[in-house]
Amino acid sequence: MHGTRQRALLEVEGLSRRYREDRPPVLAGIDLSLAADEYLAIMGESGVGKSTLLNLIAGLDRPDAGTIRLDGVDITALDDEGATLLRRRQMGFVFQAFHVLPYLTVAQNVALPLDLLGVAAQERAARVAQMLEAVGLAGFAARHPRELSGGELQRVAIARSLVHRPRLVLADEPTGNLDPRTAAQVLALLREQIHANGGAGILITHSVTAARSADRTLALTAHGLVPLPATP
Amino acid sequence: MRAARWPGVLAAVVAASMAAMSAAAAPVPGGSLPGEPQAVVPGYVMAFPRDHGSHPAFRTEWWYATGWLRTPAGEDLGFQITFFRSLQPAAARNPSAFAPHQILIAHAAISDPSRGRLWKDERIARAGFGLAEAREGDAAVWIDDWRLAHPGEVFEVRAPAQDFALELSLRERQPPLLNGEAGFSRKGATPLAASYYYSLPQLEVSGHVVREGRRVAVNGAAWLDHEWSSEPLEPGAVGWDWVSVNLGDGGALMAFRIRDAQGDVRWAGGTLRTGEGGTRHFGPDEIAFTPARRWRSPRTAVEYPVQWDVRAGELAIRLEPLMDDQESDTRRSTGAIYWEGAVRAYDGDREVGRGYLELTGYGEALTLR
Amino acid sequence: MTPARTWARLLFAQWRESRARIAVTVLALALGTAMASAIHLVNRSALDEFEQAARRLAGEADLVVRGSPPGFPEALFAGVARLDGVAIASPVLELTVDGLTVVGLDPFRAAGVQPALFGELAGNLRDFFEPDGIFLSAAAAGQRQLRTGDRMDVLAGTTTRQLRVLGLLDANAYPRPLGVMDIAAAQWQFDRLGLLTRIDVRLEEGASTATVRAAIEALLPAGVVVMTPAIDSQRVASATRAYRTNLGMLALVAVLTGAFLVLTAQALSVLRRRGSLALLRALGVTRRELGRLLVAEGVVVGAIGAAIGVGLGQVIAYWTLRALAGDLGAGQLAVPGGTLAAKPLTWLIFIVTGALVAGLAAWLPAREAAARPPALALKSGDVDAGPAAARPFRVAFALIAAGAGLAFMPSVYGLPLFGYASIAALLFGGVLLVPSVAQGLLRAAPATRAAPLSLAVAQLRGAPAQASLGLAAIIVSFSLMVAMAIMVHSFRESFIDWLDTVLPADMQLRLQQGGNTAALGEREQAVIARQDGVSRAEFRRVVPLLLRPEAAPVTLIAADIDAHTAAQRLAILHAAPLPAGGETAPPVWVSEAMTDLYGVQAGAPLALPLAGREAVFRVAGVYREYGRSGGAVVIPRATYVAATGDRAVNEASLWLARGADPAAVARDLRAALALGDALQLRTTTEVRERSLANFDRAFIVTYALEAIAVLIGLLGVGVTAAATAFARRAEFGMLRHVGLLRRELALMLAGEGLLMSAIGVVFALALGGVLSLVLVYVVNRQSFLWSIDLAIPRLQLALLALALICAAAITTVVSGRAALGGDAVRAVREDW
Repeated sequence: MHGTRQRALLEVEGLSRRYREDRPPVLAGIDLSLAADEYLAIMGESGVGKSTLLNLIAGLDRPDAGTIRLDGVDITALDDEGATLLRRRQMGFVFQAFHVLPYLTVAQNVALPLDLLGVAAQERAARVAQMLEAVGLAGFAARHPRELSGGELQRVAIARSLVHRPRLVLADEPTGNLDPRTAAQVLALLREQIHANGGAGILITHSVTAARSADRTLALTAHGLVPLPATP
Repeated sequence: MRAARWPGVLAAVVAASMAAMSAAAAPVPGGSLPGEPQAVVPGYVMAFPRDHGSHPAFRTEWWYATGWLRTPAGEDLGFQITFFRSLQPAAARNPSAFAPHQILIAHAAISDPSRGRLWKDERIARAGFGLAEAREGDAAVWIDDWRLAHPGEVFEVRAPAQDFALELSLRERQPPLLNGEAGFSRKGATPLAASYYYSLPQLEVSGHVVREGRRVAVNGAAWLDHEWSSEPLEPGAVGWDWVSVNLGDGGALMAFRIRDAQGDVRWAGGTLRTGEGGTRHFGPDEIAFTPARRWRSPRTAVEYPVQWDVRAGELAIRLEPLMDDQESDTRRSTGAIYWEGAVRAYDGDREVGRGYLELTGYGEALTLR
Repeated sequence: MTPARTWARLLFAQWRESRARIAVTVLALALGTAMASAIHLVNRSALDEFEQAARRLAGEADLVVRGSPPGFPEALFAGVARLDGVAIASPVLELTVDGLTVVGLDPFRAAGVQPALFGELAGNLRDFFEPDGIFLSAAAAGQRQLRTGDRMDVLAGTTTRQLRVLGLLDANAYPRPLGVMDIAAAQWQFDRLGLLTRIDVRLEEGASTATVRAAIEALLPAGVVVMTPAIDSQRVASATRAYRTNLGMLALVAVLTGAFLVLTAQALSVLRRRGSLALLRALGVTRRELGRLLVAEGVVVGAIGAAIGVGLGQVIAYWTLRALAGDLGAGQLAVPGGTLAAKPLTWLIFIVTGALVAGLAAWLPAREAAARPPALALKSGDVDAGPAAARPFRVAFALIAAGAGLAFMPSVYGLPLFGYASIAALLFGGVLLVPSVAQGLLRAAPATRAAPLSLAVAQLRGAPAQASLGLAAIIVSFSLMVAMAIMVHSFRESFIDWLDTVLPADMQLRLQQGGNTAALGEREQAVIARQDGVSRAEFRRVVPLLLRPEAAPVTLIAADIDAHTAAQRLAILHAAPLPAGGETAPPVWVSEAMTDLYGVQAGAPLALPLAGREAVFRVAGVYREYGRSGGAVVIPRATYVAATGDRAVNEASLWLARGADPAAVARDLRAALALGDALQLRTTTEVRERSLANFDRAFIVTYALEAIAVLIGLLGVGVTAAATAFARRAEFGMLRHVGLLRRELALMLAGEGLLMSAIGVVFALALGGVLSLVLVYVVNRQSFLWSIDLAIPRLQLALLALALICAAAITTVVSGRAALGGDAVRAVREDW
């Protein structure tokens, strides 16, 4: 746990999502509060709605009921463009399958969010270099993704998710495609970088080991989010 | 067969010949307006060799040689060769050298009982360019290399066909036999239905025939008919029976009758030259044709009386064919099916002569378009 | 079960998975095959019909005696008929009356040579001798709305004759407008007494063709030739030359576009399945087995697509023949409406060819896919790795060098086969260069601040092979269209220049029927020259002249021309200087075609058969002639009259007096000459406009079919775009996560499409420019036997290119978005 809890960055209240009328809702009455510098893990079995929750928080999907506030702004009230711009400025993403663009160099991939934000070239170069160094890929700037290993690709993805200093990083099973040793390194790096960034992070995983790398862990069950005691 | 490559050749035959039956316009009596056929009238005096030649002012004309031949191997063959000439008044005013003023048609056949086969072929052309002509003055009619001519003593016959050929010389041994009234031969009850018609019987034949490339010398006896007219056949007539016989005693008989659709006789006639040289002409009442045996063609299913009892005045003979199948089927071209072939003449069991028999109108009526 | 079968099962099981993908591949294959087979069928049926009709009329002749119109003396017929070894000589008079081909023959003689024709007349043989009778083909009767028994007026020479329709010829046997008459009637009705144009000869069995031919030759006057019908059919070929060139070019467009479409579809299909193919390898399929499986798959898919395509092609061909019945290709060839024959063998050949091309198209990427280490291929982001690495520079340059070399080869049997080969080689070479060129151009692309566009550029830079593949079909079709457009434009410009040279006066007078039957005597010439309002008249005698059996007759033009005025009246290309010793033989000028067909050169002597005698002339110059493809010779009229005694003329150019009204002059001339419809009087402007209108109409079909080719090329773009977008779904999903707006994504796609289309179209423009050089200087020159000056339709090409770039970009966006289906987000979670 980190110090005193200040005003929450993310506040989720009564969130419900149902895809089909004849089926029970995927999510029902979810509440969640996340501090501005908190790194939270959400665990759950396959199919309990982890990805749905993530999509809702990212503004890529709309809930049937409930609100999601990021820094006081209700994401659910935003249109697609508003949500997209919010993601662009305030969020970073890490995926299980890396999704590093094959036709861009490592540096270009990392620079992508800065490009979108229109950051000036000089500052962009500096921040990309700094970020690559931070994730241990200082010499990889000009390389192409096909020359990289899985662990290295995920490091690129982590760099990309944090290069524009987002308030919130969403990582969806970032180690699902990695061997345990690499996975441990990537998890450590992610945690370290999220904290270094000073923002918040949500790690979605079904792995207890992975969840342990976060500050706090919640389990997503049919009854909502249930706190799991943090293990020392 | 050449005939198969000549579909329709005989279409003109109908228009042109076969007793001038199809003409629409009546001839101008005694007239010779350009293009209009000259009429046949009594009183014409025949003269030879002039009348052996062509008479182009008349609508139709034919030279018709028939006879019996014997090969060195002793085979008996029948042969016939006919040259038709047909005046085409429609072309009269056309100055083109190709204008079809006269159409010439030739038909030749050999009846070959040892092979059971009737060889036949035909030629057709418009007269002109010296390639096909019918000359006046003496007999000279030809289509390319087929020819019947009388250059001197003898009539020369040449007909090189696809798989047979005739190369014959026909020598006269008797004066011409003028049929009817000095060559004015009536063909019906009306005086207009008539032709000029003479015969050359008892011709002595020598020469060669070629069959499938094999050339053999032949000799025998023949009969040449020459007839010209401008008259159509009378309405109602559907066919005729005609026979010519060189009699063994040096005499000759020609007899014909014209039938209507019911088989009744519309007209008949004939001429007999006796062995002694006397001539007798028969009227319709003196000629009788009585069928004795019929033969049905396996190809056309037409039934022909191929054996006959013929009476001409007091003369009574029985005709028996050299072979049954001497039928010509030209339905695809002219619509005509007819029987034309060599026959033997008997008096009881005794052969008294040999000749040719022509039977028309036994299939469908000779419909003439 | 053998392992191969197991693997095949695995492979084909994928088909069920991706029905859409298979459908797209099959569709592409079907369209490519449809296009090629449709053009082939149209081509074939038109030519078949033309040749069949010609053969039917020529019949079974062993030798043909032939002279130029108006003909040779008929006495020759009797002479030939009498020769030893001649079984049948059939006299023929052929002429064109009011646009109707009339064949005058003697049915009895013709029976031995044209039994088929004779059979059709047999039933009406008696009528045939009617002096005013004519038998019409169903087409001729239909054209003039005539039935048996009707009367028809035809213009014979300068008078109108009335003919009676005696009957109709078999519609299937004679699809073209044709009249058959008795030869005597034809000679009489059309004022050709004493003349024939042809004698068909059949030899007796066993007679030697050479001996009889020599005997006939001994009888022939100058200008009349004897030939074997085999050579005669070459005349048919030369008569249809322009048409065949046109269609040959279209067939090339069709085949190449179709082949590239097939290649694209197959290659993409293999590329996109790299992952699953690698899985097969990982499961234990050997490299060779995988290669074989993919080729087998290509063959099967190819056969299915080609079978559908052949059916489709049949429908298209049928429709084309229907729609275009009457005029296809420069008015050279009438196409019978809807008489398309079903030809199972042709279908089979197309299906097999389609299957083989698809197999081959699968083989290249299959070999590459099979060779790829599975572990590497299994990794994401590997879609474009292979082909980009294998840039076939060497092959491309070899092909281009070969293409350049082939362009300098001579024609084969009068057809520019090497020219076509050159075009094909250049085209393939060019297409192979596309990825490199694209990369070079993209490297030069300016950096942009807008993220979607820089992403687009980056994507294209990173994956040029796939993008180029999609462009192959459109580059092929568009560059050929550009080449054709440049050629037609060059031709048109040269044609206009030529018209201005050859039509100097104010009015053009002509007698109908090309001077075959009609002529103006000296009296009429005087009437014209003295007509009020006519200040000057130049007369011409235009007659066909047969110089050599295997060639069409050349046109002899006796004109008011001499060594001094030649340059003003003719578009002289090379003039021969006067020989040192002064004029030796009288001068003539020859068209370009004469140099190709008869080897005539400027300054050389030329012998011409005039009035049955050979006369020798000196070729004073070679001039450009677009009106007469068979060759033309211009001779001073005085020389012509001296040689032949023929003082008649059939054409004139009239200069009008100042202020004279052309309409009034024309009216007065018609009244004074009283030639009725035979007299054709047009202002020079009108002649010019008509000529150009005819010219343009001749190429409408070309443009229409090329447009179809380009549309099919666009389809190739669409197929690729859809395929690529599908493969990139996850990428799009990631970009949406990272914060790319929907419209920015569309902008990115559009940018990619626009960039790539622009590159493709610009490349096709350049390639088409190169190809047009081959078309203008090789194909045109060798097939039409006349030269044209290169002229580029800049505006037309620019607009066309712009339109195509937009169309291709729109196609990319539309197909891309359709493939995307809006669900990019979920794709991010798919682990492939």
